Amino acid sequence: MKKLVFIILSVLFVNAGMAQTRVTGTVTAADDGSPVPYAVVLLKGARGVGTNTDADGRYAISNIPQDGVLLFSYVGYKTQEIPVSGRTVIDVVMQTDALALDEVIVVAYGTSTKGTFTGAASVVKADAIKDVPALSFENAMGGKIAGMQITTLSGQAGSTSSIRVRGIGSMNATNEPLYVIDGVPAISGNVSQMSGYIYTSSNVMSSINPSDIESITVLKDAAASALYGSRAANGVILITTKQGKLGKPVVSFKASVGLTPSFATDNYETASPEEQVRMYYENFWNAGVYAYDWTEEAASLSALNQLNKRFNKHGYTFSAPDNTINSLTIGGERAGQYFDWDKVLFRTAVYQTYDLSASGATETSSYYTSFSYTNELGRSVINNFNRITGRINFTQKAGKFVEFATNVNVSNSGKEGFNDSRSTGSNYFLQSRNLLWPLYWPTDYLTGDPWTSRFGSYAYNPVYYNDQWENSSKTLRLIASESVTVNILPELTLKSIFSYDNTNTADHLYYSALHFSGANDNGSITETSTNINKMVSSTTLNYSKEILAGHKLNVLVGWEAEKNLTDYQRSSGTNLPTSALHTVATAGKLDASAYYWGYNMLSMLSRAEYDFNDKYYASASFRRDGSSRFGENTRWGNFWSLAASWRIDQESFMDDVDLISSLRLRASYGVNGTLPSDNYGWMSLTSYTYRYMEEPGSGVISVADPNLSWETSYTYNIALEFGLLDERIGGTIEYFNRDSKDLLQDVRLSMVTGFSSMLRNVGEINNHGVEIELFGEIMKKRDFTWTAGLTASHVKSSVTKLYGGQDIIWWDPIGDDNRARFIYREGESTLAFYGPEWAGVEDETGKNLWFLNNNDTPDLTVDGRPATYEYTRASFVVIGDANPWLYGGINTDLTWKGVGLSMNFAYKLGGKTFDFAGKDVNDDGYYWERIMSEWAYENRWTPEHTDAMYPQRVAIDMEDVNQRSSRHLHPADYLRLKSITLGYTLPHDVAQKIKLGSARVYFNGANLWTLAAWKVYDPEVSEYGTRGWELPLGKTYTFGIEASF
Amino acid sequence: MKKITTILTVLGILLLASCQDFLDVKPSSSAASEESIMNAADAEVAMNGLIRKMTSSSYYGRNFVIYGDAKGGDFAIRSQGRGLDALYTFNHSATSNSYYGFWSQIYNIILQANNLLMNIEKIEEAGNGTAALEEYKGQALTARALLYFDLVRLYGKPYNMDKTSFGVPLVLEPLDASAQPTRASVEEVYTQIINDLTDAAPLLSTGAKDGYLNYYANLAIQARVNLFMENYADALAAAEEIIDDGPYSLYANEEWVGSWSEQFGSESIFELGIYPDEADLGTGSLGYYLLRLGKVTGAMGMFMASDYWINRMSEDLTDVRWGIMDYDESSTERFGSCLKYTGVDLTGDKGSRSAVNIKVIRLSEIYLIAAEAAISLPTPDKAKAATYLNEIRKRAPALTPADETTVTLDMIMDEKSKEFFAEGLRYFDMIRLNRTIEFNDEFITPAVVIIHREKTIDRTFFKIVLPIAQEEIDANPPIGDQQNTGY
Repeated sequence: MKKLVFIILSVLFVNAGMAQTRVTGTVTAADDGSPVPYAVVLLKGARGVGTNTDADGRYAISNIPQDGVLLFSYVGYKTQEIPVSGRTVIDVVMQTDALALDEVIVVAYGTSTKGTFTGAASVVKADAIKDVPALSFENAMGGKIAGMQITTLSGQAGSTSSIRVRGIGSMNATNEPLYVIDGVPAISGNVSQMSGYIYTSSNVMSSINPSDIESITVLKDAAASALYGSRAANGVILITTKQGKLGKPVVSFKASVGLTPSFATDNYETASPEEQVRMYYENFWNAGVYAYDWTEEAASLSALNQLNKRFNKHGYTFSAPDNTINSLTIGGERAGQYFDWDKVLFRTAVYQTYDLSASGATETSSYYTSFSYTNELGRSVINNFNRITGRINFTQKAGKFVEFATNVNVSNSGKEGFNDSRSTGSNYFLQSRNLLWPLYWPTDYLTGDPWTSRFGSYAYNPVYYNDQWENSSKTLRLIASESVTVNILPELTLKSIFSYDNTNTADHLYYSALHFSGANDNGSITETSTNINKMVSSTTLNYSKEILAGHKLNVLVGWEAEKNLTDYQRSSGTNLPTSALHTVATAGKLDASAYYWGYNMLSMLSRAEYDFNDKYYASASFRRDGSSRFGENTRWGNFWSLAASWRIDQESFMDDVDLISSLRLRASYGVNGTLPSDNYGWMSLTSYTYRYMEEPGSGVISVADPNLSWETSYTYNIALEFGLLDERIGGTIEYFNRDSKDLLQDVRLSMVTGFSSMLRNVGEINNHGVEIELFGEIMKKRDFTWTAGLTASHVKSSVTKLYGGQDIIWWDPIGDDNRARFIYREGESTLAFYGPEWAGVEDETGKNLWFLNNNDTPDLTVDGRPATYEYTRASFVVIGDANPWLYGGINTDLTWKGVGLSMNFAYKLGGKTFDFAGKDVNDDGYYWERIMSEWAYENRWTPEHTDAMYPQRVAIDMEDVNQRSSRHLHPADYLRLKSITLGYTLPHDVAQKIKLGSARVYFNGANLWTLAAWKVYDPEVSEYGTRGWELPLGKTYTFGIEASF
Repeated sequence: MKKITTILTVLGILLLASCQDFLDVKPSSSAASEESIMNAADAEVAMNGLIRKMTSSSYYGRNFVIYGDAKGGDFAIRSQGRGLDALYTFNHSATSNSYYGFWSQIYNIILQANNLLMNIEKIEEAGNGTAALEEYKGQALTARALLYFDLVRLYGKPYNMDKTSFGVPLVLEPLDASAQPTRASVEEVYTQIINDLTDAAPLLSTGAKDGYLNYYANLAIQARVNLFMENYADALAAAEEIIDDGPYSLYANEEWVGSWSEQFGSESIFELGIYPDEADLGTGSLGYYLLRLGKVTGAMGMFMASDYWINRMSEDLTDVRWGIMDYDESSTERFGSCLKYTGVDLTGDKGSRSAVNIKVIRLSEIYLIAAEAAISLPTPDKAKAATYLNEIRKRAPALTPADETTVTLDMIMDEKSKEFFAEGLRYFDMIRLNRTIEFNDEFITPAVVIIHREKTIDRTFFKIVLPIAQEEIDANPPIGDQQNTGY
């Protein structure tokens, strides 16, 4: 749009100056030496004298006074003032200008520039993320924006990331930001319904090819986001896709291959097979000797029985002639050999992606088309992902006043072989770190046949059973949006957008009759189809005029309607005739279900912006939303914002301050909201899904508050933006405070009511904090530049009020396995872990100790505090906080001629992670096979090692380890090299010799180095600070080439 | 400009006019509760849903049945950790293995009953009552009585032990969501149960109604409840009315084993229909829990008969009830694995191994209730007791029939143990009669010592009832002060 304005302006220019000389030259870009087409060349101080460079970056401008000064400008580059000094040829090298205040940024319902925008918004350009091998753009953004926290929990191909902008503003409702693609709210999050069957997630954002993205704007404060009203409280992410640029058609090709041979960190590394056997023996021996007062002989016999019973059939025998662990010997046919399951369960993941795009523009139309193919073979041997995307962005002017724009994105992606459930059957990560796994073999040692019966703890042989089940999820997404812009008057523009976003996910789950999950049904198959339709229509009218000299006014009014409808269908079959055909059609018995759900929204919106002398800016916005997710009384909500900014550097008193090249103060206040995630949360419902003996059946399923209302956030924001030493150093320091009220939460009810929970507006949360973004050019020589940047966010997020005052206990919703218990309590953090407080292990006995935290009679004292041996006697307290104290990123770029090296670190300081998975590899003895990790082996209590962290293993039915206690809390601090890129760009002239516009080769390494305070597992955990059995992230080495023609 | 303004104004008006409809979005598989029960047809659908909820794995679908045998000494386990073994080991606390699924599921069904009763009353108050509605009212009251009877036995001490102690919260109409109900006494709960049953009885039809509660099911529950309250005369009267007037008949010896492969047999007074794609629990079904480890893919051998039960049965090796037993994982000679929920040929009662009906009340139980009530009367009627007992005892043909000189309560209880193995009755009878329960812990191999209870327990042990779960206390702090003693 901005470019078009330039063109229009340049067309209007007339050669009105004094005819003196003619200047010609070429404008090229400093970064790759390529010509800059359609750069603007103006004579300073003379109205209307100017021209544009042509497609090859050449320009000619006449009637230039010999002492004149030429201005060269182009979007994204620093404007240069060059005195003519009598020359007739002036070649200009344009420098990129990442922090320029006149950089155009995409904002709510329009564009603005960095220097004039009154809200808090951060921008990430395509260049910053393009080398990271990410299926979805979020995965490449970690640490790049202050105030934005991105967590990628699972290393499975195609998994969802989670984004938190400025802390946690909701309880039950989503904390995910709103995604807006090319001006239209888009379907986001997990779209698969497979979660009812298998714990997994399908990230619909991976249907957007990251290479198609031009820029990403994150709207953080109310002034920036209030125009999105009821969905904006958690921030808004605006994605803008590429457009054709004026000039010759550009065809670009990019190919990269990434290899992931290993995990990024240690993850519950196992003890050696011998150590595992020792622990197993010790477990039962201890139970005999210490718990039951048996003789050593009887205890040893019991322990050996356990081992022999379990592993004789796998070719191992066990003996201990002196009845103690000292003589424990492993014999049998397979003695000394152990099966290396890592070899058959995991592989080097291979990621490949190929992008081809063509773009160009004339003065009346522009186009950008792309096609991309991505394929990933995941770390786990059955986990694959593939994607094909195509995009056409096209704009066409019709006459002088009307412009049409069409954006079409089609993507088809598929993934298979996923499962992050905590299951000993199908979760390879859990299997490989559990269950004395090296002593189980995929074959029977007597016959050599595949081992088909179960191993211990319901595990089974994946080598055999991989062929007996399968899952897959295919997503076809089509986004088509059409917009028409009518320039009714030079200062008045009408824009109407209609968008249709359709995502269809087809899930497939099959178990053969031989599989444990299919045997009862003689094979089973389930196909589900989830079709999400989102239709958005918006019309805005924008009036922009300098009403008086120095007084610029911009007013926007509009309305928007949004309809969301999801159609769900499931068909399933059991009693399958043959293991060769995996279709419902062949099943002997069929079952089906189909229903739909949805929600609608209707909105009116308006905004006014005022600019006085490019020095003082003010803006205000107002939006009124109506949502079907509320009852009639509370359906409509009003959202608004006020903001102002002051360009201090424009003041005359700043003229003498050379140190400071730019200085701006801005402040905002506003109100926005959050919708409940439940479509019908305000209705008390009776469900008709309880059929009985083939007759329909109903049941009351929910109780509701008909006056349920919006969550509302009240945010103020103050920021200082500065540039020093001619913008060589720059940054933003920002303080914000967000009070979120009427928060929605599923409140536990007394189950005597017949319900376990109900959705209510229950309380208030405050988030406040400081964000810092710094940028500096450390060194700048002719061919060498070194820059560095830093983002840091400190957010304090706490519950300030609970209506009625009663605490609310809630569980981590991830994985459906109640992995951590939290409490909302006035004055506590929004992620306050809640449970009994573990007091460690008694040195003399190796027993678990617990702080009482009540006035009962203690069994003993620990560190002077009353304690007990029984966890049941310990009261629950807040035991930790998952919110970090500080998080952010550090990045640095070095360029020397065509060589570039950039590094991007992410860090987190403070806070705790809750290790839910750890209990499965560090049991106290009751779950006998959960005794596997090296960490557990080294830190367990034994009579020889009494100063131990963890208790003595005893095979009695203790439940201590299963309590969600402080025992499982660990420090969360880490620093990770998220990505390192080394690239080489061919000099422009060399590239041209081989008929290329530009060419670049690069290497990218992802997650190559990690420094963590707690080293047992990957420190990048879920947004709730919890670690389960999701496949961990890997180290990825990517090699790529880019070329354009 | 003017045109645009006009267009926008018109659009705006159209928009506002249609927005009320646009913003009314209704769900597709559920409807507003206020309007869901308006007539007898709706009541029928609600009753279907109510009964379906009784088939949940947290209730009659599995756990409640296992509860009654795992804790009663008739079951043994071979290895710990296979599933539900915490019931056997009494490894319960408010936060671990509290089994609050019983509490939440049964109270949820009570809500369904109360909701149905409230709506029927509304319809009747509006003058639109029908005979069909009265029938559903009777069913709902009977269901509520059974639900409270089960609940009070899970959480409250036996009636004849301490009826003034805490029972369960008594809720007779849909509650406000913010309610924090506290526990009524055991006696109050039993009183309500009897009231509901006697109110319901005249409303119910007497014909067999497969899969639902009818008049005789109501009487059968009355017989059970009165037995627990030691109202032996009432128990006997209810039992005899069923025996004399009901449309049921005992299985002949040659039919007995086959009856487990048929639905709604001649003994079924209340049987829950478990249909495929409804309450079918697949490999998590009762049938699978009891199959021998590895007998079929997915069979885990969770529970099998204890030595004590096998010894009891071994009084007569020709007992027809051996026919439903299969050898277990310990030896091909030890018939400890029960096939009642899969049928002998593993095809259940309708071709499926897991979608097999659950027989909640059978006529055999009524005979044994009659026998026990008769012998327990203030003036024992031993002849009658022997007569009723022998009708069941004859399933062990080699045993001498009882007569009025030989019949004892122990014989009746032994018979009930044999007949109702794996049907969830044993434990409740044992604590009701204040018997010592001995567990066959030696059967666990390799040996493991249980730390959460002794090898033998009696009803003075605090864990004879379940704890009120922490989840309930979190939402309902007042009930935290009424936690069962010891937890």
